[in-house]
Amino acid sequence: MSTPIQVWNYRTLIGNLAQRDLKSRYKKSVLGWLWSLINPAVTLAIYTVVFGVFLRAEPPVAGNGTTSSFALFLFCALVAWNFFSGTINTLIGNFQAAGGLLTRTYFPPECPMIAGLMTTGLQALLETAILLVFMVIVGNASWTFLISLPVLVLLALFSYGLGLIVGLGNVRFRDVGYLVGIALQVVFYATPIVYPITIVPEGWQALLRVNPLTHFADGMRDAFYLHTMPTAVNWLMMGGSAVISLVVGWWVFSVNAPKVIEEL
Amino acid sequence: MSAIVVDDVSKKFRLQTDRAHSVKELVTRRDRSAGTDQFWALRHVSFEIPEGSMYALVGHNGCGKSTLLRCIAGIYQPTEGSITANGRMSTLLELGAGFHPDLTGRENVYMNATILGMGRKQIDRVFDDIVEFAGVSEFIDSPVKIYSSGMYVRLGFSVAVHVDPEILIIDEVIAVGDEQFQRRCFDHLYDLRKRGTTVVVVTHGMDTVQTMCDNAIWLDHGVPQLEGPAPKVAQQYLMAVNRAEAEGDSSRQLAGGDEDDDHDDSEVPADNGGGDEPASTGDYRDRAGAPSITDAGTHWGSGEVRITAVDVLAPDGSELVNINSGSQVRIRIALESSVAVENPTVGIALHTEGGVHVTGTNTRLSNLETGVVDGAAAVEFTSDRFPLLPGSYMMSVAIEDAFSQHTYDRYDMAWRLNVRQSSDKVIHGLVDVGGEWELSGFR
Repeated sequence: MSTPIQVWNYRTLIGNLAQRDLKSRYKKSVLGWLWSLINPAVTLAIYTVVFGVFLRAEPPVAGNGTTSSFALFLFCALVAWNFFSGTINTLIGNFQAAGGLLTRTYFPPECPMIAGLMTTGLQALLETAILLVFMVIVGNASWTFLISLPVLVLLALFSYGLGLIVGLGNVRFRDVGYLVGIALQVVFYATPIVYPITIVPEGWQALLRVNPLTHFADGMRDAFYLHTMPTAVNWLMMGGSAVISLVVGWWVFSVNAPKVIEEL
Repeated sequence: MSAIVVDDVSKKFRLQTDRAHSVKELVTRRDRSAGTDQFWALRHVSFEIPEGSMYALVGHNGCGKSTLLRCIAGIYQPTEGSITANGRMSTLLELGAGFHPDLTGRENVYMNATILGMGRKQIDRVFDDIVEFAGVSEFIDSPVKIYSSGMYVRLGFSVAVHVDPEILIIDEVIAVGDEQFQRRCFDHLYDLRKRGTTVVVVTHGMDTVQTMCDNAIWLDHGVPQLEGPAPKVAQQYLMAVNRAEAEGDSSRQLAGGDEDDDHDDSEVPADNGGGDEPASTGDYRDRAGAPSITDAGTHWGSGEVRITAVDVLAPDGSELVNINSGSQVRIRIALESSVAVENPTVGIALHTEGGVHVTGTNTRLSNLETGVVDGAAAVEFTSDRFPLLPGSYMMSVAIEDAFSQHTYDRYDMAWRLNVRQSSDKVIHGLVDVGGEWELSGFR
């Protein structure tokens, strides 16, 4: 079982793995890292048109009292979602991809996973920065932007713990990859991202609030759009889910990864 | 102090066919009886590797060497027993493992070195040496996918040996690369050892084991066969291989009909029949032709005392081309020492061509104080009635220290002795034990 200290000793490797992923990702492409912006931009545009224009979803009034933009309202939650789904999708393949290395040389198997989280974390920071710039442009700026930092950190821990488990599971059973693909679709719509939770019938709202991602989406919207403090329930759900996911994920992974490596 | 202690290690694997590949299989599989599709890759392996020594794991393919190496490296965890390693470890199980084809040589060097546990600043310090050693300086900023396989391998090795490990683990990788690079690898390994690096290798090159390693373990199907001084282990392993081959040969002959086999007696052991088949003896010098030291087979040792000539003589001192079974034989070993050496042990051994150890003796076992040798000297061994039966035997000669723990010079199975029939008495086997028959109670 790898301890956090062992993993810390390999921080240079983690950094290099992350760097390698980033460098090799856009090699040979003309637009290079711009692709990491084009993708979310297109998603944002599609959802804005479909849900904001065609379905006329009503966004609440923003924190400055005047702005009301469905695109920005959506963008806040979409940053959180992209971070979550990006991490899951990256980690599900990372353990498999590092398998060749792990059977030939020893290093804590957590390393490629943390490296994966770093790349998606960087992407999330980039998107957050763009969101921030947009908010400033439309005159909806506030100190509450700072709240997004702890929200993103907790979201990172939550996603990482789950990512460890699916990454491990995917090596053992290929079904996991397909299951996760479907699960992500379901969860996307089970989280109030493309719609405000208020349009959902009361009974269903309670169900959505069991989903930790609802609270992360809330957190990002509170910070950037509504400029309010997330509720105690929000914090409790974010913190609790992050801790549980991380502890369980780390434990399951570090106990089982060495066994799985032997069967690679 | 031991760099690595392997304590009663066993490793069990599940066979891949046994495992469920999908969740559905896992749920629906009826036969989940464990234990049927498992096998032990290692069984009760124990040894210690002293700091700064070189240790070899030998054995045929699939004997568990690589599994053991992976256990030592920490990639696999032993099912039973424990392994402790003291020191920073660098593993070289596959050259260039972890190279990303699209990244440049420079990026990959940094990548690979960090996998081996190095920090950025440390890499900066040795980066030029790595590139120099690998000889790829012109291409260091090109993606490694354009590298030739030789360049790829050289860069991989170069990184692994320059991370300045305290323990270096190498799996049969030196065999790749051209002659010149191999020599540089060995030189570098030698340097590392001088600096106190512990080296563990898996190799099929018995020359490497005999000349470079201090100790070795021989595994067969995961079970340790022999552990001890490397030359001894290598020799015993080679003999076992020879023996297995000889058995294979004789069974092939039986299967193919034995019209060309002049031994019509099935009781004759296969080993003894070897004398009639010169085909497998190409490596050995024939006794006929009076070998001098220069044309004998490979030898090893530290060289303070060297064997300069070995002669097989008749009682009258003339050179013997063929030995008559049962007659007197003198074996004269001429030595030369460059420094004064106290009480060296001089020994000889005889093996059949099939590798069966027929006999061996030395001055120490015969309670002979050899005294000091300084300069040229000679030892003579006389057998009054040479007891070996007709056939072909391989002779080994060695000079060791007083306790047979250190080898000054040693030639293994370097001379062939042809023993001929000298009487009309027919005896089967390897030796003539002499003796008389006596009857009682017969009518």
